[in-house]
This record gives sequence, C-alpha cells and structure tokens, in this order.
Amino acid sequence: MRVAVGALLAACLAFGQNAAKPTELQRAIEEFKIQSRDMGLREDSPSVTQHNNGTRKWRWHGRLFENFRSDILDAVPHEVAQRGGNKGILRRNQYGFNLTGPVYVPRVYDGGRNTFFTFTFEGTREKIGQTSLRTIPTMAERAGDWSSSVDSAGQLLQIYDPQSTGKNAAYNPAQAVSTENLEYNRAPFPGNRIPTSRLDPTAQKALQLYPAPNANAGPFFQNNFFVLSPEVNTAGGAIVSVDHTLTDKQRLTFHLNYSNGMHGSMRLFESAANPGSPIVDRRSRSAGLTHVFTVSPQSVNTLSVSASTSQMEYERELGDDGQPFPRYRFSPYLSMGRANPNTKSARNTYAASDGFSCRRGAHRLGVSTQVIAEQVHIYAPQYPSGDFEFSSGLTSLPGIINTGHAFASFLLGGTSFAERSVVISPSYFRKPRFLVSGGDQWELGRGLTLSVGLTLDSTGPRTEKYNRQSTVDLSAINPANGLPGALITAGENGAGRGFQPWLTKLDPSASIAWTFLKKTLARASYSRSYSPIPVYTSQWGTQAFNGTPTWISANPQLTPAATLDQGLHDSGSRTFPDKRPEAANDTVADLIEPTGRQPTYQSGSLSIERELPGLFVVTAGFDHSDGRNLLLSNSGANPNAIPLTSLGYRDQLNNEAFKRALRPYPQYQRFEVYSSWPEGHYKRDAGYVRVEKRSSAGVSLSASYEFAKQMDDYSGPYGIQDFYNRKNEWSMTTGSTPHRLSLTYVYELPFGPNRLLFHNTDWRRYIAEGWSVSGVTSVTSGDPMGLRPQFNNTGGVVDALNVNVVPGVDPHVSNPGPEQWFNPAAFSQPADFTVGDASRTHPSLRMPGNQNHDVSVNKRMAIGPEQSLELSLVGLNFINHANWNDPDTMIGPASAPNVNAGRIIGSRGGRVMQIGMRFSF
Amino acid sequence: MALSLSAEPAVKQERAPLRVSFWRSAGDPVTRADLKVTLNGTDAKLLRLSSPSDDLVLLVVLDLAGDLSLVDPARAALIAELGALPPNTAVGLLRAQDGLRVLADPGTSREKLGEIIGGLTISGRAGLLDAFEPAARLTDSILAKTRVRLAILYVTDSSIGNYREDYTNPVVNSSDANDMSRRFPEGLVNEQIQRVKNEIAGALAPIFIVHLRYQNDRLAAAYQTGLLDLAAASGGEAEFCHAVGDIPAAIATMMGAIVTQQTADVEWHDSNKLKQVEIFLEAEGRTLHYRQRMLLKGPAAGRRSN
Repeated sequence: MRVAVGALLAACLAFGQNAAKPTELQRAIEEFKIQSRDMGLREDSPSVTQHNNGTRKWRWHGRLFENFRSDILDAVPHEVAQRGGNKGILRRNQYGFNLTGPVYVPRVYDGGRNTFFTFTFEGTREKIGQTSLRTIPTMAERAGDWSSSVDSAGQLLQIYDPQSTGKNAAYNPAQAVSTENLEYNRAPFPGNRIPTSRLDPTAQKALQLYPAPNANAGPFFQNNFFVLSPEVNTAGGAIVSVDHTLTDKQRLTFHLNYSNGMHGSMRLFESAANPGSPIVDRRSRSAGLTHVFTVSPQSVNTLSVSASTSQMEYERELGDDGQPFPRYRFSPYLSMGRANPNTKSARNTYAASDGFSCRRGAHRLGVSTQVIAEQVHIYAPQYPSGDFEFSSGLTSLPGIINTGHAFASFLLGGTSFAERSVVISPSYFRKPRFLVSGGDQWELGRGLTLSVGLTLDSTGPRTEKYNRQSTVDLSAINPANGLPGALITAGENGAGRGFQPWLTKLDPSASIAWTFLKKTLARASYSRSYSPIPVYTSQWGTQAFNGTPTWISANPQLTPAATLDQGLHDSGSRTFPDKRPEAANDTVADLIEPTGRQPTYQSGSLSIERELPGLFVVTAGFDHSDGRNLLLSNSGANPNAIPLTSLGYRDQLNNEAFKRALRPYPQYQRFEVYSSWPEGHYKRDAGYVRVEKRSSAGVSLSASYEFAKQMDDYSGPYGIQDFYNRKNEWSMTTGSTPHRLSLTYVYELPFGPNRLLFHNTDWRRYIAEGWSVSGVTSVTSGDPMGLRPQFNNTGGVVDALNVNVVPGVDPHVSNPGPEQWFNPAAFSQPADFTVGDASRTHPSLRMPGNQNHDVSVNKRMAIGPEQSLELSLVGLNFINHANWNDPDTMIGPASAPNVNAGRIIGSRGGRVMQIGMRFSF
Repeated sequence: MALSLSAEPAVKQERAPLRVSFWRSAGDPVTRADLKVTLNGTDAKLLRLSSPSDDLVLLVVLDLAGDLSLVDPARAALIAELGALPPNTAVGLLRAQDGLRVLADPGTSREKLGEIIGGLTISGRAGLLDAFEPAARLTDSILAKTRVRLAILYVTDSSIGNYREDYTNPVVNSSDANDMSRRFPEGLVNEQIQRVKNEIAGALAPIFIVHLRYQNDRLAAAYQTGLLDLAAASGGEAEFCHAVGDIPAAIATMMGAIVTQQTADVEWHDSNKLKQVEIFLEAEGRTLHYRQRMLLKGPAAGRRSN
C-alpha cells in the first residue's frame, strides 16, 4: 500500500502540481510501474520478488516418466507367424526423470535468475526378440551324406573326392575346360557320400557346436534355420547442464553427459561358435564449456571447449580350450565363429573453438576457428584363432561349375584361404584438424540477401603415438622379387609419421535468398567441401607390429591352403615387430593411400517457397549433389586387381602362382584398404514438393514427396566387376529410393474448456481436455535391384560378377508379387571366364517398397496449476502392415537355373505398442 | 485524484463488464451502430466501444537470443515502426531473457526506446514461454483498472532448443537402439504450450508475435504452431518470417493490427461459477479478429479464473 501511494504521489508530481485528474493513459502507466515492481520485474523491485522471474511458478520443474513395452501388447511379427510362432519376445522399461531450476544451496548459494541447472537421468532395461532365417547344412550333409543334396535347380549336387584327382591325358589346352574336355579327372564319392574315415576330426568336433535345422521355408533344403533370439540390453545415463549469467554481456554454459550401455546382440547359436555379433559394453562421456560474450549490441564472441570419449569392449566368449572359436566360412551356409571376439577401443575427441560475429551496416560478418584433436586407442585382434575360408573347388570336378560344395570341403578339412591375427600391442592413433572460417551475409536490398563463406580446412594424417604404423610403399623395391612394393614403417628410413601429407583445402559456399513477390521466397545455394579421412576403430595399418600370417592355396581346386587337423603353423619363427621390407609378402597387405586425396563433395540447390492463405506453405525445389574421391572398401577398390583382359588365360588362373604374376604387385595377394581408398564417385539429383500447414486450431501437418535419382560407381553388397574401368560400373546406387512420400501430423483435439467442444468446466473437463493425436507415415519405393550370377568361375580374377542380359526378354512382370517379383529369364549366368554385360544394379527393376504408419495418442490431465500427467499410447506400424522381404536375385546357369530366382520368401514387421506415462511438475 | 489505484478500486466495484479486444484486417473503424455482440448465443449489451483514437498501451517484449543477421533488421524495423506510432500510444519495453524484465516503462518518447532497443545485448536463452503468464498478469491488472486499449507484441527469434528448461528430450543413451520414446518428439513442447495456454486462459490483452525465423523441423513446427495457437487464443496473431527480408513487413503488419485495435465493453451477468463464454462479434462488411472464447468466473471479467 505504501508503495502504491508513493507511486501515485510521484505520478501526481509528474502530471503536474495543479492536481489535474490523471488521464487513462497515465493511470495505466502508473499501474504498470506498480505491478511490475510488485512482480519483481524491475531493477528496483524488492529482491525477494525477483527470484521467481515474475512468475508464480515453482522454482524447480521437472518430470518423471516410464515407457513400457511388452509382447502381450504387440502383434505377432509377421516373420515369426510365418515360421509358426505365436508370439515375439519383448519386455522393455525405459524410465527416468528430469529436474530443472535455479541452483540453490541453502545458506551457501542462491542462483536466482543467474544460475540454472538441468539434470536428466534415463535408464533402460530391455529384452527384445530379433529374427533371422538362414540356411545351414542338413544333418545328413554333416555326416558326409550328400546323396539327397540338390542344387538350386533341384538336381543332385555331385561331390567329388579330391584324393582321386589325376591329370587328364586327353585334355586339350586349346579348348576350354568342360565336361568333355577336363583338365583333371576326379571321381565322385561313391553314392555321393563322404566316408566317415575321411571326415576331418576338427570339423566334426566343431560341428557339435552347430545347431540342427529347424525350419523348411525352402526351396529344397534352403532357409532351414529360423532363429528368434532375444537381445538383452541395458542402458543408463544422464545429462547435466548448468547455465550461468555472469553479467548482462557474459554467459557460461557447462554440460556433462554420461552413458553406460550393454548391447547384447541376438545369439544365432547357443554355443561358443556363435557367428552373431558380440555383446558390447559401451561407455560414453562428454563435457563442454561455452562462454558467450556480447561485446556490443552488434557483435558477439562465442568460445567453447569440449572433450568426449566413447569406449567399447566386446565381451569375450571362449571355447572349451579357453580360446575364442575360430571363424569357419563355407558360403552359402551360415558360418561359425566371428571376427573381433576380443576387442577394446576408446575414441577421444578434444575440441576448442572461437567464433566472432558482428553486424556492420548491411553485412553480418563472422569468423571462427576450431581445433580438433582425435584419438583412437584400440586393441583388436580380428582373428586370434584363425579365419578359415572353404570353397567348393576342393570337392568339385575341377573347372566345372555347380559341382562340389564349400561345406563338403569343410568336412574334409581343406581350406582355400586362411589367416590369423597376431596382435602384440594396442594402437594409439592420433589425428589433428584445424579450421578457420569466414563469412558474410549481405543484404543487397529489400528482400535480397547474399551469403558467402569460405573455410580453410587443414587436416593432419593419422599418426601413432609410438610410431607403430606401417604400410606398403608402392614405389619402394621389394628385396624378395626386386619389384615395386615394400613394407615401410612410420618414422623410419625417411618415411613420415603418418604416410600421408598434411592437407589444407578451401571449402567455399554461397547462397542467395530473394523475396520477389509477396510471401514468395526463392533460394539458391552452392557449396563444396572436403572431408577428412576418418580414424577407424581398427588396427589397420600396423602390419609390421601386428602380423597377419596368411595361407593361400596354390590351386583351390586341387590343394588346400591348410587343413583343419594340422592347424595353422607359421613357417619359420617370425617375431614382431617385423619391419623387413618383405615382411608383408604373401599376405593381404595393409595399404594406406599415400597421396592423401580427400573425398570432395559438391552440392547445389534451388527452391521456391510460397506462403498461401490459410497458413499453408508450399515449397518446391531441386537439389543436386555429387562427390569424388569417396572412400571405398575392398569391394569397391583393389589397387592389386588383375586386369580383366587376363580372363583369356581361363583355367590357368586357378593356379595361384600364375595368377599372382598377373597382379601389379605380385608379392601381395591383394591389399587391405579398409574403407579408405579415395576413388568413388556419386551423383544425386532430386526434386521435391513439400506442403506445410499450421493452424491456430492446434493442427500441424507436413507432407512431402521426393523423386530422386542417385548413381555411383561403387555401391552394393557384392562389389564391382572391373576395378580398372569405373565408368562401366556407373549405375543406380544400391539403397537409394527414387520415390519417397512422408506425412507427419499433430492434432490437438478441440475438447475441453476454452475449446470448441465439450467445454464443461466441472469434473468432466478432466476427461475431455488434453487429447492429441500425432502420426508419421512414410511410403518409399524399393531400392534398385542388384542381380548376381550363382557361380563365379573366373579363377578369382573377378570379385563380383554381373549377370548377362538376355536380349528381347522383358525383366518386368505385369503383377509383381511374392511368386514372381521379376522375370529371371531376362538374365543369365555368364560363361566361364567371361564377365557379365548387365549393369551392377538394374536401371528399372526395384526391390519391394516399404510403408510404415506410426501413430501416437496422448492424453494430458492438468492436476494442478503446474502439475500434469500425460499418458501416451504409441503404435509403430500401427496398422500392422507387412513389408515384403527382398526377392532372390541369384541367377543360375541354364543347365541348373535357380528355381527360387525372382521369388520372395515372407514378409516382415508387425505392430509394436508402447505405453508411456509422464508426470510433469 | 485517485490515490489507491493498486489497492482498491476508485469507486465501489460494480459488476465488471467483459472486455473484448478486436482488430480489423482492413476497413474503417467499427462504430457502436455497426457492432453486434453475442455472448453464448444471446445478444449482449454493448456498454462502451473504444476507437483507434483512444489511448493505447503497447508492451513490446523482446526475446532475442540468436543470430545477429535476424536480430539487427528486427531492431531496425521495430525502431522505425515505433517511431511511426500515433502519439496516443504509450510503448513499454521488456525483455524475456532470464525472466521477464522491464527495460522501459510505457511512455510516448520514441527516442529513448530506440536507444534501448539498439543497445540491447542479445546473448542469452530463450524466455518467451516463461514470459506469457507474468505479462498477462501485468496487462490484466492494467485493464481491470483503466480503459486504455492494450496489446502485447513479442518479437522473438527463439528456438525450442535454446530454452534453459529442456523441451527437446535429447538422447541420453546413444546405445539404446530401440528407443521409441523420441519417435514423437513434440510431446514436451505441446505440454508446455498447453500449460501456458491454461495460464492465460482468462487474460484479456491480445498477444501478437513476430517470430524472426520460420523453421520446419518437427520440434520447431510444434513450437511455432503452439505460438500461433497462443496468439490466436488471446485474440492476437503470429507472423513467422521466412527470410530476413520478411522481417520489416511482419513487424509492420503486427503494428497495423495493434493500432487499429478496438475494445468493446460488454455487459456480463453470470454466477460465480467457472464458465466458458463464447463470443461472437459482427460488423457488416468487415472481418473482425478477436478472442472467440474465454474461461471466466463471473462477474470478474478480466481476472484469471482457472
């Protein structure tokens, strides 16, 4: 009251001493002053009123939440129902809380308006079913009985005895090898049964850890192993942030995140031979501090430092002998054992940046600099107990496709290729990066803005703390054969620490925005950027310090590289480090690209955005992007590939020594480039239309459609056919979807007080108010289809063979469905020692499309001025739509066509429900 | 001379009329003869109608925390528009960062406002959602005791991710691959918008919002749709700028609506029961924008009642 009277007296003085009655405006102004003072909105407000920032609210707010999922709420997944199951596996609890408000320590510190914290904790306990349908050997095959085994055409698959191999005296080298002109004679096992005495005891012992078939999806004996296995995952983490206002011009923000998680992958086998992914313990931590300094009303400086670490440790799984189970690969059957059974890694990133931006006239200028130091610490023996690859060659009729089987070769214990990882020490990789950027946003005129920017990006090569890195120098002479290509180690004999140069590049960008009609905005932009070669979580490039002894068959059709019963024994007594120039000879040698070519990306876009009456916004645009020097893995790049012209040597290529002589660097079997070889190209063009609608009636809607075409010379699960002619590999990008339609919506139902309907103000309001419905719908067309021939009889020259196109046969069918998605008769298996003439991916055939409809229904109940309870029911794939699996794209030879080609086995998906509850205060 | 403005009414409190603010997109001011008022479906008696020539208090609340390239044009446009306001308009200036704070009391001097706006620091956290309730309380208090026209204009570049409170529900456990709880990320935003909407359910002053940056990701869409909802529910409007060049026009549009605003005092009888009032205003030939429903506990128009 005293305050009010004082204010009024002041008002009187201000309005004049003649005691004229104040006007309405003057009364309003005075009321404003009085109320704002009482509410703590002014500098001269009593301090006690200032703490709550003028609100009546509690000082601390937060929420408690729980999200629950269970298979009893879900539809049975289609893939489970199709295998005769009647329930999935799911139990999940996700819980946590959030608390936010001013920092307050009684009698010590009261943050008031200045210091604010947020603390969020979230934990998850989960058991979730994963499914897999695979092919494994029949019980008869395991016992050596192949009398009932058939090829993909349903004809008997003949298994031959390698011990019966003999040179065919009648062989005519001038003719191609065929059943009429065999180079080697070899007798089939009598009755197509491998005698028990011939079965390798190591293989037989290993097979005790291999499960029995449990399904018959077919065709024939294929797809005979269905697994529904739980992943057991836990996670717990928190985010803490503190925001402190130092002065009106300075602010500090600190954040700290931590998360611990155990990711338990599904088990394909309940034994030490499980080929599934390992259980991984994950720990991540990050912290950062940001200081914002408003130098003047037109200039701001932002300084920040951060540090983060992400650690992973694979849970060890040991066999009876106390060692990890070896990896046995005998495609097309599911393999045994896995890579990296015992791996630990930590990725640390330290960053500091400073950015200054200011406004001068019509220019907004900005400069920034950033320093990033990245570390990867890793111990990762990939195959400590060995990796054994088996091929059909040993049990085939040499030179004749569709004979023999990789698993039969395994039963005999003869491997075509084997390697073992010998890791002596962990690696401590380092990589620095510096960036300096500048930019100007210039308002050229009313409604016309031009932005330009330039970034100087300087990246150092990967180095190792103790210089424990090695690569092959393609120009150094190898003392073993006098040819170029020898092992070098970091920091020795003139080699640098990182094998690659420091790279400094300029990344330009420019954009323009022009409002040329009322509510119509046109935008155009262009940018080019270079991407540094990442530091992978792998010990690639340390071969002189951590060896990979390798066993290669002299001729995989005739002799094994090693046998299981004899095991892998290193020749000589190699000790590590082994820095001899020839130390990597006869192996798959790690090769670090020496020039440091960086992936380069370019993009441009053009769009027009028009705001229409009714709060509609329509945007139409076109995007183009392309890239070169994209980093490729072994399937996309092979600097030691044999040119395809060598296919003319035909069956001689099965001789490893002959074939090796054709390689550019014959001392190496091939090179391991580990997703770091900069040779890929891509191009993407996309047009799109987006419609957004916002309404004050609580409706928000966004719909978009995109048509895109993306092509490249590297993508796909199989690899490329010709490493020396990348133009021939230019085809549709695997995984790119030409058509993409999406719809998102939120509708706050107009029920309850202050709303259109059911505006009861009594108890019924608690039922009526607070309902909302949200949804996300996406429909995409299928990926471009990649077709593969069933057999690759090129002597190992071609990694990924394309099919041939049958002229005049339409690959499309009128009504694509699970029985026939495409016409396999339009394609054929290439003849022996020839390449396919079809493109890597088909230009018009697509895999089945996908559609998904997610819906969430929410109900909020206000249970106090600041307390509310929200219940949510979320349905993923709400309508329980089944998406088809991909068809079988394997094209067999005319003599034994794959009867399953073009057919689809089953579908996947199923409705998943989640019940959520959140109490907010 | 009234000596007890904030303590007691100057005269004995009579049944307070219901005050409805409205504005026109175009056309001449509405006169008493033009205006037809219906409350809950029945014709209501119009006690008083203000005109655009009557006194106006405009409270400008700045919530500027981000990009200088947006903020500076907004400041320039705002200063220009304020300078063009008629002399019967008293403009007060507040900022929303770290709680609502008064920068300048309402007054008719535009020069001082220009200096303050031009010299305002912009670093900080978004504070718009926390400013609505105290601002509504402040304006309700003024409207309950004076007959001025009153509007609040919020100028903001706020992003929902820049609040001190967390409305974005960021991922805590990156290893949790089967998390569905963030499939619909707008839940916390919608909850907060509805809470604010309840808080200002009985507020009388229309809210006008100029948001300097239109965004279309899901969280931003929920946030900006919520602002649209809040403004419309109060009888005001929200504009979102798609480009820097849109800012002057958006601020001018809002100013145009504010200065043409009129208020109608309507006779209101009801019991002390909380009740929703459906309002319908009609003036032939003109499209009127106004608050269509209000939650009131009569006869206490102008007070928050829930």
